[in-house]
Parts: sequence; C-alpha cells; structure tokens
Amino acid sequence: MRFIEALTGCVILAGTAPAAAQEPARIATESYSLPNGLKVILAENHATQVVAVDVWYNVGSRNEVAGRTGFAHLFEHMMFQGSAHVKKGEHMAMLERAGSEGFNGSTAEDRTNYYEPLPSNRLNLGLWLEADRMRSLAITDSSFQNQREAVKEERRLRVDNQPYSRSIFEEAYTLMDPKACFPYSHSIIGSMDDLNAARTSDVQAFFDLYYAPNNATLVVAGDFQPAETKRLIEQYFGSIPRNPRAIPPVTCDQRFGTGAVRREVKDPNANLPAVINIFRVPAYDSADYPALELLSVILGQGESSRLNRSLVRESKLAAAAPVLLNPFGPRRGPGELIAFAITNQGVAIDSLEHALAAQLGRVASEGVSEAELTKAKNSYRAGVITGRQTPLAVAEALQTASLFLGSPDAVAADFQRHMAVTAADIRRVAGAYLRPDNSLTLLVSAEAAK
Amino acid sequence: MTTARVLPLLLAFGASAAFAQAPTSPPPAAPVRPAALPPFQEAVLPNGLRLLVVESHEQPVVSMSLSFPAGGRYDPVGREGLADMVAGLLTKGAGGKTADEVSAAIEGVGGSIGASAGADFLTIRADALTPNLGLAFGLMADAVTRPAFAPAELSLLRTQTLSGLRLELAQPSSLASRYFARELYGANPYARRPVPKSIEAITRDDLVRFQRLRLRPGGALLVVAGDVTLATARRLAMKALAGWTGAAPVAARAAAPPARAATDILLVHRPGSVQSNIVVGNTTFGPTDPRFYALTLANRVLGGGAASRLFMILREQKSWTYGAYSDFTRPAGIGAFHANTEVRTEVTDSALREMLTQLRRIGSDPVPADELTAARDALVGSFPLSLQTADDVAGAVAQARLLGLPANYLATYRTRLAAVPAAAVSAAAHSAIRPDRAVIVVVGDATKLYDRLKAIAPVRLVDVDGNPLPPAQLTARAAALPLDLARLVPRNDSFTVMVQGRPFGYQRAVLERTADGLRYTEETAIPAAGVQQTTTLTLGTDGSMREVHQTGKAQGQDTKIDVTYAAGRAKGSATTPAQGGPKTVAVDTTVAPGTLDDNAIQALLPALPWTAGARWTAPVFASGLGTSLTMTLAVAGEESVTVPAGTFQVFRAELTGGPQPVTFYVTKAAPFRLVKVAIAGTPIEMQLAK
Repeated sequence: MRFIEALTGCVILAGTAPAAAQEPARIATESYSLPNGLKVILAENHATQVVAVDVWYNVGSRNEVAGRTGFAHLFEHMMFQGSAHVKKGEHMAMLERAGSEGFNGSTAEDRTNYYEPLPSNRLNLGLWLEADRMRSLAITDSSFQNQREAVKEERRLRVDNQPYSRSIFEEAYTLMDPKACFPYSHSIIGSMDDLNAARTSDVQAFFDLYYAPNNATLVVAGDFQPAETKRLIEQYFGSIPRNPRAIPPVTCDQRFGTGAVRREVKDPNANLPAVINIFRVPAYDSADYPALELLSVILGQGESSRLNRSLVRESKLAAAAPVLLNPFGPRRGPGELIAFAITNQGVAIDSLEHALAAQLGRVASEGVSEAELTKAKNSYRAGVITGRQTPLAVAEALQTASLFLGSPDAVAADFQRHMAVTAADIRRVAGAYLRPDNSLTLLVSAEAAK
Repeated sequence: MTTARVLPLLLAFGASAAFAQAPTSPPPAAPVRPAALPPFQEAVLPNGLRLLVVESHEQPVVSMSLSFPAGGRYDPVGREGLADMVAGLLTKGAGGKTADEVSAAIEGVGGSIGASAGADFLTIRADALTPNLGLAFGLMADAVTRPAFAPAELSLLRTQTLSGLRLELAQPSSLASRYFARELYGANPYARRPVPKSIEAITRDDLVRFQRLRLRPGGALLVVAGDVTLATARRLAMKALAGWTGAAPVAARAAAPPARAATDILLVHRPGSVQSNIVVGNTTFGPTDPRFYALTLANRVLGGGAASRLFMILREQKSWTYGAYSDFTRPAGIGAFHANTEVRTEVTDSALREMLTQLRRIGSDPVPADELTAARDALVGSFPLSLQTADDVAGAVAQARLLGLPANYLATYRTRLAAVPAAAVSAAAHSAIRPDRAVIVVVGDATKLYDRLKAIAPVRLVDVDGNPLPPAQLTARAAALPLDLARLVPRNDSFTVMVQGRPFGYQRAVLERTADGLRYTEETAIPAAGVQQTTTLTLGTDGSMREVHQTGKAQGQDTKIDVTYAAGRAKGSATTPAQGGPKTVAVDTTVAPGTLDDNAIQALLPALPWTAGARWTAPVFASGLGTSLTMTLAVAGEESVTVPAGTFQVFRAELTGGPQPVTFYVTKAAPFRLVKVAIAGTPIEMQLAK
C-alpha cells in the first residue's frame, strides 16, 4: 500500500479497543435421541417469554442428482400445504392465531430448516405441527402442481425481477465443475425443466427418503419447562417411523485454482452494471474458514471496510461494494466468497473491475493491520453476542454447530477458533483462495453482450 | 379375568405405552404466564434531557436511542426532506472526526450507529457491547451536538437521495401513498413529502439551522436498554453531553386535516398500467385516544394479516390480488386509517366496491366471536415476540413515552387488549373507519377506469404529476397533427448518443426544403451496438407523408424499409431485426388521413404548437412493423437541460402508444429545437452537440 494509506489506516483505527474479553455466555444444552433416530437439542433460557421450535432436515440442493434438481426447494413450499390433520392453509393460520411471527422455512445447499418462534404457552402447537408434517405431509397431484407453479412464480419475482439476483441465485453456481462436483454446481431453486418433468411419485420418494426422523434434528430454545417439553416431544414424534434405507452419499471432488473464468451476464433489471468476483473456498469446518470470515468483514462489511472506503467513498467508482461468504449458509463442501461491486452512474465496468481486483490482491501482497484484525474479531464477537438474545438465533447457532462441526457443544469452540485467527492467517488465506485462477468473474449489465 | 376387569387394565397400559399416539388435533394453549417486562427507571438531567433506563443483564449488550421532536413535519416549506438529510448526515462526521473516522471507531468495536427521521421524531441509535458503552455514547453525543455537515458528505447524500427519489417516484405504489397523504392531510404537515426540487434546494445553512433549533436536550428523550444501570447511564450522559443546553423547541400549531363531508376518488392516470393501486382511508384520532385497543382488534379482523377479511376475500376468494391489507397510524398528531391493495385493471372497480363494503361492515355488524378471538389471540400472543432484544425494548419504550402514553403502557398492553368487549370493537370501527367520508386514491389506466369508477363516487382526474386532466382527453381520437410547416427551419443537427453518460455514437439529422416539399435525412451510428442506419423521408409541401427509405444494420442484422404513401395507402416492404433473424413484412394497407410514418415524428417536432400542457394524439404508421398505431405526445413538464450544444429551457414531452416510450426535450422558444431524446427505461440518450 502507499505510504499515506498505511499511515492513514493506522491512525484511523488507532482508537479501536482491543478484544475486551467479552465472551458470549455459554449456551446450556441437553441433547438426546429418540429411538426412531430424531436428534433433540434443548436449550432452556427464561430471559424472554418466547420459545423457538427449529427443525433441520439433513437435505438440501447438494443431495439432488442431475435431472432432478429443485426438489429440496420445492419442499419448502409443499411443507406448508397441509398434512394428515392440518388442512391446506391451516398451518400458517394456526401459527398466526397462536401469536407466532417470523415463522418460515428455507432451503440451502446443505440443509432445509423450518422454524417458528412462539409465545411460551404455545410451544405445544409448534411441536405438534412439525410432527404432523414430518409424519404425514399431504403429497397429491394437485398440491404438487400448485407448488410447482408457486416455485415458478417465486422465481419470476425473485430471480427474474430483482437486479443481480440471477447472478447470485444461478450463475454463481457455475463456479463448481458439474462433472466433479454436481452437488454444489447447480442452483437451489433448480431447473424448471427438471421440475416440469418430475412426477408426483418422484416427489413422494424424495419425501420418504429425506423427511424422516432419523434424518432430522429438532431444537427447542427459550422459555420452556424441560420435563413437560420432553414428554410432548415423545408423544408427538415418538411414533414416526424411521426411514430404514440409506441416504445416497454426496460426493464432490472440486479442484481449486483450475483457471480464471470470465463471463458477461445480461440482466435487464441491472440498470447499473456490476462486476462480481467469486472465489472457491473450503468447507465450514476447514481450518482456513474462520480466517476467510474475518477477511470478508475487513474487505467488504460495514462503512469502514476496505472496499467501501476505496471504491465507494474515495474513488467513487462503485455505488456499493459488499463481500459475502456463502450467502445461503455454511457448507460441508466447497463454497463461495463473493465480492460484488455495482458501478456508479457513468463509470465504465472495466475501471471498476480493475480497481476491485487490485484491492482484492492487496491483502495477499500486503496483509491486514492489527487494527483491522481487531475490528473483524470485535464485529464477529458482537454478532454472536447480540444473536444470543433471541431463542431462534440460539436455535440456529446450535443447529449449525451440530451439522457442520459435529455437536451443539462445538458452538463455544467455533467462537474460539475465530478469536484465534492471526493477521498472518488472513494474509495466507487471501493468497490461497482470492486468486484469479480460482475465480469466476461475472460482468452484469442490462444491454446485450458486446 | 372377565373382560370388564381386563379392559381397564388394557386402557391403563395403553395410556403409558412407550409409543403413545400423537393427538390428531392441535393441542390447546397452555396458560399464559403474566408479562415479565423489565422495569424501567426515569430521570431528568439538569439540562432538561429525559433519561429512561431499562436494565437487562442477560447479555453484555447495550442499545441506546436519542429522540428529538425533529421529524419531517418540521421541514420548512420548500425544503421537504430536510429532517431526513440532517439525520443522514449526523453520523457522517462530528466532533472533529470525519465520517471515515466515526465508522472506523464504532465498527472497530463491533458496534453500530445510525440516525433516521420519521414524521414526528428524529432518532439516533447506537448499539455496543458493554465495555464500549462510553465510546458509543461519545460518538452519539458528538453527532447531535457537533455534527460537521461536511459539504462533500452533503453532496454525496444529496445525489443518493435524488437517485432513490427517482426510483420511488416511478413506482405506482409510492404515487398512491403520496397522493393519499396529500388528500388526507391537506394543509397539515403530515401531507408533505420530499420531491427532487425540495432536495435540490437544501443548503448547509438549512441543516445547521435545523440542528441548532431542534436538536436540544429540552423535549428530547434518551433511552438506554440492556446491560447498564441508571447510575452509569446518568454519569455517561452528563459527561458526554456536558455543556449541551437548550429548551424544547417551540411547536408551531399544525393546521388541522381537512374535514370531509363525502367520499370521492382521486384518479391518477398512468397510461398503459396493467394494474391499479387503490388506497382508501380517513383521519382518525390522537395517540392517547381510548379507542386505540378496540380499533387495533377491529383492524386485525378487517385487514391485519393473512387471516383477515380483506386478504381472504380479495385474494383467496376472488383471486384479484396478491395482498389486501389495512392499518392505522399512531403519530404524535392526528393518525389515519387506510386499506390498500394492488389489482388487475379489469377488476379495479369490483375490488374498490368490495373494500368499501368491508369497511362499512366492520363498523355496522358485530364481529363474530370466533373472528374476534382469533384476532385477540394473535395480538396478545405475538406481543412478547416484539420485545426480545435490548434494541426491541429500547425502541418500544421510547415510542410509548414520546407519544405520551402512560408509564405502564407496555406492562398492561396485553391485559387491556384482552379486556375490550366485543361491542366496543365495532363501535370503535364505526367511529374511526369512515367509508362515507373517505379519501380514495386510485393510480392506474384512467382510459379503462374513469367511467366505471364514476359509478362508485365522484372522480377527480389528474396525471401522474398532479395536473388536472379533462376527461375528454382520455377518449381523444387520433387526429392529424396541427403542423405549421412554416416553422420548419432547414437544419443540420448532430446528436451524440450517450449510454449512461458515455458517448457511444452519433446521429445526424438534416432537414432540407426541396422543390416538392421537405426531405429529412437521419444518419445514426452506434458501433458498439452494431447500429448503422440511414433514413430518408420525403414529405409534401402540406406535410403529408410521401416516402420512407431506410437502409443499414441494427443489432447485427440488416434493415431495409421502402414504403410509399399515396392516396390514403401505405405500400412497400420493411425488413427489421427480430429474435430469430431479420423479419420482412410486405406493406399494403389503408392509413387514416394525416398519418405520419413513425420515422417522421422527430423531424416534425418543431412544427407543432408547443405550450405547457399541450397534448396531441395522432395516427402513426410504424412502417418497420407494418402496423398502424395511435400515439400520444404530451408535454409533461418544463426544465433546464444541459447538453454539449449548451443549456436550454425546454418542454419535456412524452411520446406513448408505440413499442418504445420516448421523451423529447424541445426548446420552449422558437424554433422549438429538439435538444435531447431519452429512451424510457434505458440508460440511452441523444444529446444535441451542434
């Protein structure tokens, strides 16, 4: 970096307080399994009068095979259409009436989750609804066809209608090689052709295989009484039969550093062109992952991030320049670090592309300052601590540790490994992964490709 | 054993069996525990600042909010948006620190700071972990007492605000809510919204004056929630805000909203709109009105969620819309009720009738017990979910105190809601929801809506800029353009084709008089887009079309047009770019008298009688496509534009009715020269170079 920038960088951040040893409070948990294989994690806390029910099914787009993409996401819709004792439309109406807000489900590459925060006295309803649909989701020709239409509509609204969405929701997946790593080389929303070709029996088979208690983890977090809660879980979930068939293994042999790929993407909604650099990164449990998370903060999160200061505020080449790491959630396989810069009015896209590349390359060649490292750790710490305030966030933290690090007790270790990152680690991972030969560059604009 | 003795044993065994059967119906609610809201303590500092502290030591986080009676309602006339901009700039440099230094300081400790302005209050918020409370406090205090309002930051925020406004004003839902506020509130300041002109007018002096006048300890409220005590909060506040003085700013009395005697409809014409945005409502009451709880319940039943009447009927039953809702506001002044939806044009009148029916019904018919119970359960049940974090609590407590609600408002919210008798619900709805005296705003295609809406209530018709539109213009039949050819001065103009402000090509337009009339030649080149075209038009001395010839390339494909106009017919052939390759069309059709070729419009612009509000609808033949159209050219406004050839005062005119809406900028004074062309929905413009 230039002398003046190095000096300014130090002066600006000199006032930063070093890690003031604020540790997130330990989450007290109790874990066990039912005979049918359902994993249960309880995290009791009476700070609020809210309880969160959060079910993770160990299935995502990574489990889909060629010709059958989009199934995992289709289920996000089907699961709200009723089950043996819940009529269509009743699931959401019952939750609303019970005072639940912010209930939903989401599909990611590695897992599908369903959650409902509830006032404490309605925990029983949340558990009952999750059990009923785990046991007996209503899969009929008409509900399948209706939800296929709903998925198309969602795609129209989200992917086709929002600027830059197509790049993040679809194009980014070409980062991985479909022959070596099909699981992570296709989008979560899947192909409309595959969904159109699917039959109801295929959907039923997918449900039977993946939506079983021995493929699921139930977390209850917040204001509940353990004895009564265990009794309800046993009563509602106990008789759901396990799926005896083995889940097909997921294999991915993606190589890194296979060469730079650069492509133009036409997006009629992108009234300002954008350049998107996407780099392959390792799995969540990799030793390099925490350094990559902190690197993302330093590069592209917040007003004081490197990209915001240099590209948005100083050179004004960009209207915005965020950095995202695995936007849909952690993975047990190769993932993506996305540096995304939107041009300001009148700026040529190649100017921004070069400026962005220069900033990304600087970390490997010059490293980061101790002040930046401290900031990133403080930001991470504050995020974890403030996240502990709501039962739902606690539940999601436990689920994440359980699936990606092997146990809900890994939450504390996960925090520690982020605090142990050094400036040298960050420089090293930048050099290892933020390289042109490990990247996909998308140039997004509204006009026809030149 | 006899059966009689075995059976009870079997039943007893079944009840305790390892795999008890799950219930086949949802379990009933368990009893609700009484609300456990953390208590709060209040103090008034010597300088008049009210301090409120809510202690919660669950997590080492603290959330602060400092609110002032400095919202948008206090913007001076002509400076609407000032409060927003003051809020936006408070954290962009203060107390000797630049914006970068402020963000580095707060983000360096993993905290956050930000300010925003609503209609009544301007609030600055900060969050931090406990050890960094002093730092966050200091930054917040500097922001409100010593903001820098650096000119470069003002300039950047102004640009960003104008961009955001441009996007917002293009959205029909925003238009609907802006017009609704205006109609509802009239001379009351709640009617006003920022517009580009008001944002452009704001100066640094305005910002400084607003801050000095309105950001004072008197009348302000500081709420600190989380891992802190009253003593600590008071000490930090006194230290950070030492020397800050000032009594509460004087509140000018706001004009009362206009009283309404009847319902009418403001129809905002948005030509070609395939959907209509409907908003219906009326003003209600002040924040401490006792009808609040009853109206909350009534609103939930009527339109407060996916189980509500408006949603179930307009969406689930009739499939007219994705969503229909209602709500009512609770500002510091007089609030308002509204119901809104977005529907297909064809069902606009049906949807509006249904909305009015439901608005009447909620006040006239008692609400059935099951609907009321469902609404009550949802509202009571969800209350704790809105108060989970320190930030949630700080915000809720602040809002309650700023509105002058009693200290026990949050603690008693659920019980007071639960205690409202059924009769009070419809009574509150009857007095507060007034479809008989409502403001109705519909934004949509008036050509399809005007007559049908007139059957519901009297209609006032305006264009999207708010100018009154004579209904006759909706049915204006295409007539030959009133051209005055004497105004056409031979010319040789060069335009630069700009894409996003960068030159990408040129167009040369030459108009010459010939022995038979006029010849207009247009040569366009945009190399990057593969466009190279030359168009030649000839017209008779009376301005009638004679011939069109076009050759060249567009989008990499050949184009060729050769069409002759004679004796009321257009004849020839046209080859134009299309998806699968150039498409050739044979042309042989009658055309209405006075029909112009679409390529001729630009040539003939100077010959029109340009005035403010001018509007012409004319028959046009799109020779490239071989189709007849009716196009409308309407003056939408006046402005100043700067192009390479100079700065000009122009009329801005929109051409609609064709495949691509276009905006022409023509000088206000003779010779009505075309100085700029903008193609709607694209970043492409042509600017006069010489």
